[in-house]
Amino acid sequence: MRKLEEVLQDWEAVIGLEVHAELTTLETKMFCGCKLEFGAAPNTHTCPVCLGLPGALPVPNKAAIESIVLAGLATNCDIEKHSMFYRKNYMYPDMSKNFQTTQGPVAFCMRGHLDLDVDGPAAKERITAAGLAEGDCDGNATRTADGYTAHVGITRIHMEEDAGKMVHVGGSEGRIAGATHSLVDYNRCGTPLIELVTEPDLRTPEEARLFMQKLRQIYLAIGISDCSMEEGSLRCDGNVSLRRRGDSKLGVKTELKNMNSFKNLHDGLAYEICRQAEVLEEGGQIYQETRHWDPTSKRTIVMRVKETADDYRLFPEPDLAPYDLTDEWIDQVRAKLPELPDQKAARFARDFGLSAYDARHLVESRATARFFEACMELAGEDAGALAKPVANLVINDVTAHLNAHADFDLEDSPLTPARAVALVRLVAEDAISSKQGKEVFAAVLEEGKDPADVVKERGMEQVSDAGAIEAVVDAVLAANPDKVAQYQGGKTGLIGFFVGQCMKEMRGQGNPKVINELLVKKLG
Amino acid sequence: MAAATERAFACMGVRDVRSGLAAGAFSAREIAEASLARVRALDGATHAFLETTEQLALAQAAKIDAAVAAGTLDACGPLAGVPVAFKDNMNLTGTHTTCSSQMLANYVSPYTATCVARTIDAGGIPLGKLNMDEFAFGSSTETSAFGPSRNPWDLSRVPGGSSGGSASAVGAGLATIALGSDTGGSIRQPGSFCGVVAVKPSYGVVSRFGVVAFGSSLDQVGPFARSVEDAAFALNAIAGRDALDCTSQAVGIDFAANLAEGVRGMRIGIVPAFMEARGLTAEVKAKVEEAADHLRALGADIVEVELPNAQAAMSAYYVLGPCEAFSNLARFDSVRYGYCDPGHADLGSQYEASRAKGFGPETRRRIMLGSYLLSAGVYDTYYYPAQQVRTLITQDYERAFQRVDCILAPVSPRTAFRFGEVSDPTDMYLSDMFTISINIAGNGGMSLPAGLGADTGLPVGVQLVSPQFKDENMLRVAAALETAYGPAPVAPAFREGGTLEASPANIPDAADAVPGVDLPGLLSAEGAPSEVPAKRVPHEPDSPAGCPCEPGLSERPGSAEGVAAQVERAGE
Repeated sequence: MRKLEEVLQDWEAVIGLEVHAELTTLETKMFCGCKLEFGAAPNTHTCPVCLGLPGALPVPNKAAIESIVLAGLATNCDIEKHSMFYRKNYMYPDMSKNFQTTQGPVAFCMRGHLDLDVDGPAAKERITAAGLAEGDCDGNATRTADGYTAHVGITRIHMEEDAGKMVHVGGSEGRIAGATHSLVDYNRCGTPLIELVTEPDLRTPEEARLFMQKLRQIYLAIGISDCSMEEGSLRCDGNVSLRRRGDSKLGVKTELKNMNSFKNLHDGLAYEICRQAEVLEEGGQIYQETRHWDPTSKRTIVMRVKETADDYRLFPEPDLAPYDLTDEWIDQVRAKLPELPDQKAARFARDFGLSAYDARHLVESRATARFFEACMELAGEDAGALAKPVANLVINDVTAHLNAHADFDLEDSPLTPARAVALVRLVAEDAISSKQGKEVFAAVLEEGKDPADVVKERGMEQVSDAGAIEAVVDAVLAANPDKVAQYQGGKTGLIGFFVGQCMKEMRGQGNPKVINELLVKKLG
Repeated sequence: MAAATERAFACMGVRDVRSGLAAGAFSAREIAEASLARVRALDGATHAFLETTEQLALAQAAKIDAAVAAGTLDACGPLAGVPVAFKDNMNLTGTHTTCSSQMLANYVSPYTATCVARTIDAGGIPLGKLNMDEFAFGSSTETSAFGPSRNPWDLSRVPGGSSGGSASAVGAGLATIALGSDTGGSIRQPGSFCGVVAVKPSYGVVSRFGVVAFGSSLDQVGPFARSVEDAAFALNAIAGRDALDCTSQAVGIDFAANLAEGVRGMRIGIVPAFMEARGLTAEVKAKVEEAADHLRALGADIVEVELPNAQAAMSAYYVLGPCEAFSNLARFDSVRYGYCDPGHADLGSQYEASRAKGFGPETRRRIMLGSYLLSAGVYDTYYYPAQQVRTLITQDYERAFQRVDCILAPVSPRTAFRFGEVSDPTDMYLSDMFTISINIAGNGGMSLPAGLGADTGLPVGVQLVSPQFKDENMLRVAAALETAYGPAPVAPAFREGGTLEASPANIPDAADAVPGVDLPGLLSAEGAPSEVPAKRVPHEPDSPAGCPCEPGLSERPGSAEGVAAQVERAGE
């Protein structure tokens, strides 16, 4: 198979996502008073309603409706005041009533969008394929200084309930094939779930990854879910089809499941795009089917072929009255909206003079955004001057450390905002070099000490005293008369050699700026 | 007769029971014991009861006797000491709730329906559970998997349905109050056939929580009684907002308050199209006209009103009802509870066989119909237009009720028919031709006994229809008519000194069917069991006892506080 970058030169991928989020921060289930709790003993959080016992009736959870309206407001959706629940009828043992209560053509939230800022190497996938120059547009994408912005439509966000969990025993690896018994745990049955459906506006796996990342940040900011992709409280299915560059007709799509991490989402889609391209290039045909991403073998595998659309016999849920939300109530919910990641980034850029790039990457996680803000508070009057170096520290060093250590918790780490500010100050005041800064950063994390102590213990203080440096400079110049002559003969590039010699003499602790100045003065 | 030695307390009215208790003329224990003895002695004739609840009855009687002794009878609720019974689609913890279906022959309720709990809270003495058409699909109780009930006025005839057991029990004086449910006429038609007062309140007046659903948007619970006042007392007990049913409404009215006000100055509508309807028998038509004359004589204005779209109600009903039933009955899949056909290797064949054998023919017919009507392509042709018709019919009633306070109409086109006489399902469906539009529109409707038909000599009820949530209107008109017709009598053969021969019945008791369970304990808050044994003595020898798929889950009653903490409508 060809590489993704190559495939995307010839083919345009059309990707849409369906994102399910369990409203894990609520106390109780969608239609009954059972507690929401992950990992409880099987069937301990059940009642006649979520077990679908004869005669039981649903009572909607008001807090869940508030949560979905918050989600809609945070993703620029129109809030539909008049919507209702529907029954989606299908029989399976994990769905106790044998219908799922969901929404029909009109969901609580309709017609939203998110703008994705794509930068870095992955932005090139689309920029080079479409040949974009700054200011150019390609469909929903606009070229910016450091990448492009993609406008991604959200079709709807609707409210529904989760099913129970099936456990197949007696077979291999919990699979249903070969199992002797299938057990059902109804604890999850009736968990409030919101499903967001995007327009087919995404064009690269990176855009899909960024969309999920951004959506997760928003959901976390408004506090409606713990958004754990591992535990399945945030789940994502992707629809993907290919068309030749320049074609407007959509190709046949496949649906991808089991993309339970950002990496799997990216890699699954990338594989599927390359697979489809290969099939099409060999004159083959794509079938409308559901495929399963297997991260171990790094392939997508057919789950089932959809020959006809499933008939779920959707009809309005007669046990639940239609909704008639008032403007007043929606405004009350709106008032609960916290600052969203985009707004936070704009504020960081405005208040601290950061670039859009820096601000955007600072808010990529709530932890880094909070950390940066704490640092700025501690920086006090120097906030303006320290903002850029603190941002660099957070975006580069802290983020790299976070990415490398999955269990690293920034809020509970030895790197406190106070230590970070102290470290940045040491560099800014030329007490240590930026290279030494990296060493101190690592030492703070490993040893849990203040940066000043690390510097002292390791004898790292940078020497900026002109008198001390002058003696070294003189000695170096005296020891290298031939190089001095060459320099004075016009080979000014030798300045680096002299700086290096001085630093070597000072075991790296000399202030390179002062050394440089003295050298230029003495050689000139 | 067999029960001659016992006092027939269930033949008494609510007021008489109460005054007798207060005066010490008898105890609640006597009521409970004598009433159960009467049921066991006579129900062989009617087959109204599927199960008795002796422990519950005696425990409740003890509570009331203690209150009498303590001088706190007044605090006991409006139905203190009154023998009551419940249609078998109503859950009562520790009893079987079978919906008269093999599918649920072994199903034991782990929780109690709101209407049942409220009846018991009001002081009613629960005698047992009552026969019905399977899952309420029928108009005669002939679809019951446990055999039909019989009409106490003529044992060769049906009691009507689907709440036929409820009507039969009250008509025979085996219970003073019975609860039934009405989706298209299932309270009113058997009320008419058995000559008892039968009330289907406006949709939303009584909670449906715990009542096994047929058509969720049409179902409504209501009482059977032998007087309008008793029905109003029962309605007072069960009506009102329930946090567990978000379609229930706050009522805040005493239904017994205005019964004596008469009808002078009231405007009462007659629908000419109903009176000219094909199939309406002369004796029923004559009774409706006679009732109109009585009302006129009592000072009411009789006004003609049109319901131009009501003739489409039957068609709309046989779309909407089966659609909702198809979905509501999907849960009976043999997995968690209910009949499970043994020996299947895969889920699909277990589903198919269990549902094919567990459900009777009429139930299967409705499920198939609903499944078809909701399928892709068909939905737009039937379901959607049916909902539009529903709106039109609702508007018809709204327009009519701008001109009148109540509508007078037939209940059933005819009196009770013989077993097997109506064998074509569509002919059976016509039993509800005058009652269905009221469920479609959500109004209140009731059947008031108007004496016996001139041709058949069988009971005839007339129907009174209220504007939505103005159920007190029809009760007031009914009470006025009752002054002309008198309270509904117990069927002659079942009266004290009646002609009925001993007809003992071997009715299973909840305590025998579920041995080792302390049923009264189940009713109290602290006595909630973690698990209810789920074996029962089968109603019929060939019923699927010993099903390997009995529930293995610990079914606990729902936490009322937990659910009550939720509010159903955001934005309120």
